[in-house]
Amino acid sequence: MSEKSTPFFIGFLPVPDGLRGFLMVACAGLVIAFTALAYMIGTTQADPGPAQFRFDLGAQTLTGTMTALPYPVLHVTNGTETVAAGRSILLSANGKNGVQSRIEDGAVVTASGPLLQRGTLDMMQVRGGRRGIKAEPDVTAIEVVSESLGRWQMAGEICDGKCLTGAMRPGRGIAHRACANLCISGGVPPVFVSAQPVEGEEFFLVGDSDGNPIGPDLTEFTALYIQVEGEVRKLGDMHMFLMDVDTIKVLP
Amino acid sequence: MSVKYIPVQWNPNKWVYDAVLIVMMVIYLWVFLMLAPDRLDHERVINPQINAMRAFGSCAFLMLTVILCLGPLARLDRRFLPLVYNRRHFGVLTLIVALSHLAFVLDWYYAFSPTAPLEGLLSANTSFTRTLGFPFEMLGLFALVVLFVMAVTSHDFWLKFLTPRIWKRLHFLIYPAYAAVVGHVALGALQDQTNMVFAAVTLVSACLVGGLHLAAVILDKPAPAASGDWVSVAAVESFEDGRAKIVELGDGERAAVFRMGRDLAAISNACAHQNGPLGEGRIIDGCVTCPWHGFQYRLFDGRSPEPFTEKVPTYGLRMHNGMVELNRVANPPGTPTDPISLPEDVA
Repeated sequence: MSEKSTPFFIGFLPVPDGLRGFLMVACAGLVIAFTALAYMIGTTQADPGPAQFRFDLGAQTLTGTMTALPYPVLHVTNGTETVAAGRSILLSANGKNGVQSRIEDGAVVTASGPLLQRGTLDMMQVRGGRRGIKAEPDVTAIEVVSESLGRWQMAGEICDGKCLTGAMRPGRGIAHRACANLCISGGVPPVFVSAQPVEGEEFFLVGDSDGNPIGPDLTEFTALYIQVEGEVRKLGDMHMFLMDVDTIKVLP
Repeated sequence: MSVKYIPVQWNPNKWVYDAVLIVMMVIYLWVFLMLAPDRLDHERVINPQINAMRAFGSCAFLMLTVILCLGPLARLDRRFLPLVYNRRHFGVLTLIVALSHLAFVLDWYYAFSPTAPLEGLLSANTSFTRTLGFPFEMLGLFALVVLFVMAVTSHDFWLKFLTPRIWKRLHFLIYPAYAAVVGHVALGALQDQTNMVFAAVTLVSACLVGGLHLAAVILDKPAPAASGDWVSVAAVESFEDGRAKIVELGDGERAAVFRMGRDLAAISNACAHQNGPLGEGRIIDGCVTCPWHGFQYRLFDGRSPEPFTEKVPTYGLRMHNGMVELNRVANPPGTPTDPISLPEDVA
């Protein structure tokens, strides 16, 4: 339409007849476009993966021996149908908190709370107070075997174990990076998700090269796709990956 | 136009404008939050909170894209001008949607932590030297602050208080803000996408905003300014009654030469309200009427009719060798000028 023939719109006067149809089409087009875009974007979101809180199983009560480093793991001696004796399970508290202040290395405890599960990886969110972790001084601790499976180079992603196992869906990826860092700094065990299974395992509890909790030099790489070398160990039934931070490369 | 400040000068057009905006936004969110999840073939559902932050975030991004497209669209096709008319409400609504996005993010990703949510937002990722892993949240936060400042200063009180020139410059921050939003999406949500749809939407949106602005600059470029005190405007017989010809004066200044009946007179092309292009307006009820918000000025003295108080500069005109020429030295705003009359042989 030429400028000469364009009706002149003034906001405080009725819309000129010559513009009314055009504006109705433009407005309808916007509404239709937004509807279509919402559907297109909403229905093409990535699958968050097979992770979830298992409230359906009820609270689990497990007794076992604790190891504290690099992060608290319960090596179950008296379990349930879901988590049998012989399994090793990661522990966290409510929210983005770990249980470091509530356990002692080598102590026997009974831990209780709901499970989170992702594939072969289990985590228990222990309840607060003595209902969550209770010392069992009368039960004899088992010796938790720690065995080296050699040095490995792996590609994958450092995640926080709790969101990864279903506290958030999705609980990994760059959009989730800050959340993962908050979880890890709060004491939630970090987990390395390997792109390829190693020794049949996809998930590895992460520690630094000395077997201690990871620091800012490693959380710098949280949620990124990285290649890293380190020692793979098996602690009870839990696979660990003790990373050499100097070997980390960010992959595209 | 107003002689006193009131929160919103409602009129039927604004009601319709806002209704369309709200319908558009509500349908987007309803489809994203209520309809789309049932169509996803996932083993486990996406957390409703994460779905909500995605719905509100993408909605705000698309709304901001439309807002930024409206300006150049109206330059390229005047029929889009009515959609610019109430764009401030569009901006405020976009801010509300973007704030909702932030609220869902803070209440989920940054909740349940010993670190306070806002502190966590600012401290949980500080890898500013990385591209992958860059704290994209800061880009979103910057854009949100800009949107907030723009919404707060969107009222005409601030326009008058800050002066149109400063107000306009402040509101140009929307462009770096939009670039930041594109970066926020590209370095954040898009990194985790396995489907290219949202990436394509983001790319098309950014290209649309950039392309339309480029096209508007190229196609709407005025003729270069001439040197000397008198600037040639157009042939005497080429003026159309009730309309103007715009002349470039250099340094970004433009004047609008209007014909009203048999008289020609010139005023500044920049409306005192929001620097709207007066030369693209018309003469209605004997007054030059701005195409953006309908502000009106008397042609011969550049003053708004009483009781309004807005004023724009006026310019002297002369006829020389069949051409209308304009004195590039502006008269102070509101200065009466003598119009020139068209020769009798001009229709």
